[in-house]
Amino acid sequence: MGRWMKISGILVALAVLAACAPPTPPAPTATPMAPAQPQPSPTAAASPAPAVKTIVLGFTASQTGKLTKESKEQVQGLQLWLEDLKRAGGIRLPDGTTIQVELKFYDDESTKERVQQLYVKLITEDKADFLISPYSSGLADAAAVIAEQYGKLMITTGAASDSTYEKGYQHIFQIYTPSSRYLTGAIDFLKKMDPNAKRIAIVYENEKFSTDVVKAAKPYAESQGFEVVLFEGYETGTTDFGPFINKIVAANPDAIIGGGHFQDGSTLAKQLFEKKVPVKMIALLVAPAVPEFAQLGDAAVGVIGPSQWEPGAKYSPDTARAAGLPWYGPTVEEFVKAYKDKYGYEPGYHAAGGYAAGLVLQKAIEDAGSIETAKVKAALEKMDIMTFYGRIKFDTEKAHGKQIGHEMVYLQWQKDASGNLVRPIVWPEAAQAAKPLYPLSR
Amino acid sequence: MWRSGSWWLTLALLLGAGLSPVITGSATLREDMFLILMLITLASSLNILLGYTGYVNFGHIVFFGLGGYIGFYLMHRHGWSLWPATVAAGLATAALAFALGMIILRLRGAYFALATIGINEAVRAFVANFEPFGGATGMSLNFAVYQAYGGAARALWLAYGALLALALITVGISFAVKHSKFGLGLMAIREDEDAALVLGVRGPQVKTLAYALSALFPGMVGVLFFFKNGNIEPGDAFRLHLSIETLVMVMLGGQGTVWGPILGAALYERLRGYLLTSPLFKNLHLAFAGALLLMIILFVPAGFIGWLRARFPVVRRVVV
Repeated sequence: MGRWMKISGILVALAVLAACAPPTPPAPTATPMAPAQPQPSPTAAASPAPAVKTIVLGFTASQTGKLTKESKEQVQGLQLWLEDLKRAGGIRLPDGTTIQVELKFYDDESTKERVQQLYVKLITEDKADFLISPYSSGLADAAAVIAEQYGKLMITTGAASDSTYEKGYQHIFQIYTPSSRYLTGAIDFLKKMDPNAKRIAIVYENEKFSTDVVKAAKPYAESQGFEVVLFEGYETGTTDFGPFINKIVAANPDAIIGGGHFQDGSTLAKQLFEKKVPVKMIALLVAPAVPEFAQLGDAAVGVIGPSQWEPGAKYSPDTARAAGLPWYGPTVEEFVKAYKDKYGYEPGYHAAGGYAAGLVLQKAIEDAGSIETAKVKAALEKMDIMTFYGRIKFDTEKAHGKQIGHEMVYLQWQKDASGNLVRPIVWPEAAQAAKPLYPLSR
Repeated sequence: MWRSGSWWLTLALLLGAGLSPVITGSATLREDMFLILMLITLASSLNILLGYTGYVNFGHIVFFGLGGYIGFYLMHRHGWSLWPATVAAGLATAALAFALGMIILRLRGAYFALATIGINEAVRAFVANFEPFGGATGMSLNFAVYQAYGGAARALWLAYGALLALALITVGISFAVKHSKFGLGLMAIREDEDAALVLGVRGPQVKTLAYALSALFPGMVGVLFFFKNGNIEPGDAFRLHLSIETLVMVMLGGQGTVWGPILGAALYERLRGYLLTSPLFKNLHLAFAGALLLMIILFVPAGFIGWLRARFPVVRRVVV
């Protein structure tokens, strides 16, 4: 009996393995249709039917691993862009051709070796015409090497590290404000709100992106007359911040800035609240800008987060005109409404970044009047536009492709009159949507 | 070894599979094979300690990461070429393993396994705070570096060729060890360490040598992998997860055999790769892979090759 169970178990396992072993790629869901289009009749040459081309836009999404939350938002934003584009009938080129876009993506498990393997697959097998980066600086950096090696244009979104753009790449274009400018606004905010605040503790996740941010924020804080009383990294995946909180309390700072990604950032905010750490301001990376941060309840109140974009952002065709820039794409209200209708909640900046990546590519193809890489690249280099997401302009010199037009905003979690958690913009002053909560009452 | 038909068969099969991307010129196939060959090298080198000597090593990946870091440091900061950097990194990790082995191989069983985890974490924490290695930010190669190898596309093929050669050497060494007096000593330790000592096996020395040998190859693979990657960070270099996956590969194929790690690595990687891109499984692939592995470990604890050898004694001459 046991013997038979064993043998049947082995057989089942082998059968499953055999079924999986052949590395057949999944059949493409749509084939390029331009050459195969049957001509209606030879006499119709006088009024040629508008040609339709399908381009493939490839990327990987972190559906498993540590980056799932942020990546999901980004992909949803991108999918919403595609829907809007389909509704508009595709991208129309000056020569009458219509470009339809097909998205092609795989799960990268939030790891680099998968990213590289899958981007090569996207380029060589799925024949992706253009690429969007995965979420996070580390993964985008791994994908950028592949894109550059094959000479494919890649729009990076969800990737803010400056270093990727200082390696001599020519085909990588950044949507996010680079990380060196992430926390500088929070320091300006503190200086404006409280001239007596002098002591800052910087506690950050010891990995690429967060380290890049705080390494730029520290000298900036010092140049603004602050004293950095604690500058310490914690390991990725830290769940108990007890020892760090003790150190923070011992350093007696006026403000805490730092953090890392969603998981560790929200845990840190929660434990700072539970231990009633007496500081006047807390500004953390990434986590406060993700809508799920609201699940912390009271622990979220007062926490400030830098954000690439917020639903309350004040970009509009009017501000574009005032700045002398052309406006492109939906307005902020249109984007927020469409996203809310589709997914049931307000978008955060990861979603907006995903949408903006598609939008920038769409605009570049339109400007280029072509889907040839060289022409679209030239169009991206010349681009200087205003969108719902803010201004988009790329560095074309030493740090080729780095974002130089876009600005950060800072939001703060607050309770509205009916006790619901909201996150109005509190900085810069021009975009302020609510009175900042300062100092924190803890 | 050179008169063994089994060795030539292994060599021919590996070489055939390894050259297939070169013949077809397919970059996708090359990327797939790169991962498989990398895992074969990691699994085969782990097998020297795990399979032959019977010491469970959870920290195998520390040599991969550290080798990558040393090679990267030499290329990035001192402008070395890929080849000497690869060799230097391999030798450095082997030397480190030798020194470490003298200390921790006095431990046995679970205590040794725990110590290896500790080493991985300690080295990662050290590297993440070691400024010459770039600290938490890591290091990255300027894209222009690839020009020295005839452009980025050619650099990738070169790295692949080097990896193929390395995989062949690793499997060759694994084969040679298994059929040598040194290997017999290791296996005697695996079966009963005290009896082996009584019989005259120089336990600590032999074990330390096995540990150093199993650390040589991951160090070199690390350089090739991160050279292709273009950047290196502590989180990617010292992933405990990958250590455990390598253990699973060896167990899946059959520990203590030459073919086991090869088959285990190839099967595991193909399976994961397939599940990841299959429209049917791509949302469930981790659960599916986990359930499958559980079944195999439950029903075929000796691994695939071990089961084959026990069930069909005829194949023992060929399948080693």
